[in-house]
Amino acid sequence: MTTMPRLVRAELFKLRTTPGPWVCFAIVVLLTGLGVTTSFIVGHHGIVHFTAPTTTTQLRRLMGAGYTAAIVMAPVLGVLCITTEYRHRILTATLLIHPRRPDVLVAKVLASAVWGLLMAVVSFVMIGAMGIPLLVAEGGSPSHLFSQVGPVMPGMLAAYVLLAIYGMGIGTLVRNQIAGVILALGLSLVLEPIIVAIFSSLAHMDVNFLPTRATQALAGSLSARGPGGGAGGTARALLSWWLGAIVLVLWGTGTAVLGYFTTFRRDVT
Amino acid sequence: MTTVNAPVHAASIEVKGLTKRFGAVTAVDDLSFTVEPGRITGFLGPNGAGKTTTLRILLDLAGPTSGSCTIGGRRYRDIPDPSRHVGAVLEATNFHPSRRARAHLQMMAIEAGVASPRIDAVLALVGLTADARRKVGGYSLGMRQRLQLAGALLGDPSVLILDEPSNGLDPQGIAWLRDLLRHLAADGRTILVSSHLLAEMAQTVDDVVIVSKGRLRAQGPLSILTTRAQSSMRVRTPEVDRLSEIARRAGFAPRQLGGDALLVDGATPEALGPLIATNGVVVHELVQVSQDLESLFLELTTSMTTDGQPVPAVTR
Repeated sequence: MTTMPRLVRAELFKLRTTPGPWVCFAIVVLLTGLGVTTSFIVGHHGIVHFTAPTTTTQLRRLMGAGYTAAIVMAPVLGVLCITTEYRHRILTATLLIHPRRPDVLVAKVLASAVWGLLMAVVSFVMIGAMGIPLLVAEGGSPSHLFSQVGPVMPGMLAAYVLLAIYGMGIGTLVRNQIAGVILALGLSLVLEPIIVAIFSSLAHMDVNFLPTRATQALAGSLSARGPGGGAGGTARALLSWWLGAIVLVLWGTGTAVLGYFTTFRRDVT
Repeated sequence: MTTVNAPVHAASIEVKGLTKRFGAVTAVDDLSFTVEPGRITGFLGPNGAGKTTTLRILLDLAGPTSGSCTIGGRRYRDIPDPSRHVGAVLEATNFHPSRRARAHLQMMAIEAGVASPRIDAVLALVGLTADARRKVGGYSLGMRQRLQLAGALLGDPSVLILDEPSNGLDPQGIAWLRDLLRHLAADGRTILVSSHLLAEMAQTVDDVVIVSKGRLRAQGPLSILTTRAQSSMRVRTPEVDRLSEIARRAGFAPRQLGGDALLVDGATPEALGPLIATNGVVVHELVQVSQDLESLFLELTTSMTTDGQPVPAVTR
């Protein structure tokens, strides 16, 4: 496996030299900034105030302001990691250098994880750069925010990483870039809420083994809403954070393995 | 027998009984040929003859239905660090348009474990140094071909497999490519170049492998074609069988075309005339058939002679 570090470096370089990931990062900055702003909006007796978060829940909401960006953009980044190769036929060059396809797929999984981690770092930098000055300006204390780093940050970092891998798996399955992005976003933003709502209302069941719900368990229980609260503000119980992580790992590796056997092994024409 | 970890030096390419079917379509049909080191072999055939499919199977980008392809006795995937032994140019579209040319090569160099100075060396070799920092999206087809070739040469391979490398090149570019391939072959490298134009390749290749509809039509040194193409005599005689035998004994390759017609491949008027006179053969017509390489190529690849007869496969 001495070639694996080379393969991973090449995958990281590939993404770095195309505009797609940088656009994703820009959107993460925007969405995180929006999340920071909304965490300063507090309703009190029907009146909305723009004020410094003070309670643990409010501070965790600020610390987890990159949650939406993770749900939306980390899978998209993962999708780009592989579908760019299909779209521009770069996979031919990749496989000519390293024809053993399982290695290439593993390298892409690892590269997606690294990019997911970088995306999380960018999000937290944005939270710090925008959140701390706002907090100080509104009379809050940065030390109160720092006290939430431990409970919130590990789950969020893991969420970004695992969602990027999950996106890579989706990209491996569908190969088409636009279809992959639509599928990744459609599943998390449209289909999952519908499935969860249907099962909840008709069968009074909590469907916790879907990617977004697993992410809520991983990141949501550690951020604003507290254990069992759910990031969407629902009262339904979530999985424990570690089970959420396992579920996300299974979604990521499962789709990648399925993609390998259904599409990645096909003839490259 | 070559061991798995031994490098591929001056390796021959061997295709044995290769067949590839796409549903009901047979793209490659029981194809067998060998490419020798130190020579440039033209892999020729019209569009859709199965050339690209064969090369993709050879490079493990596609799987065969049956048969095998090896380079230096090994499948491509079994060659350690294959890009250091085999360089390939497949098509000029394998680029991200937003990536700069040098970055494209750097990406390949990282994956192949090739040192950065080699990138500048191959860029200079293909004449792209001045345009190396431009995005590939702004490149002409000819420049993309040169960049593909630079990528193939990154690992300084001993085997080169090039699919239609002259596509998009201007006449100067084609002449440059010809010189480059000659120079590389002189180093003892194995070079397989596909093309659908024999005329373009005739000045470049030493050997030819001609395919049509997935089947082998001819294989051997280019001279097997040039000999046949340059000197044939068509004779009308009531003594077809006798003249056929006389010509054969004289070392020619006569073919009966039906009726009183005979085609004597490899013959000239100066050689065949005295033979006919000496043996007292009655002749009604004696015509030199000046068939050029391209028409012979067309004849071979359409599988029918100009007289409507099937063409037998030609091999060394």
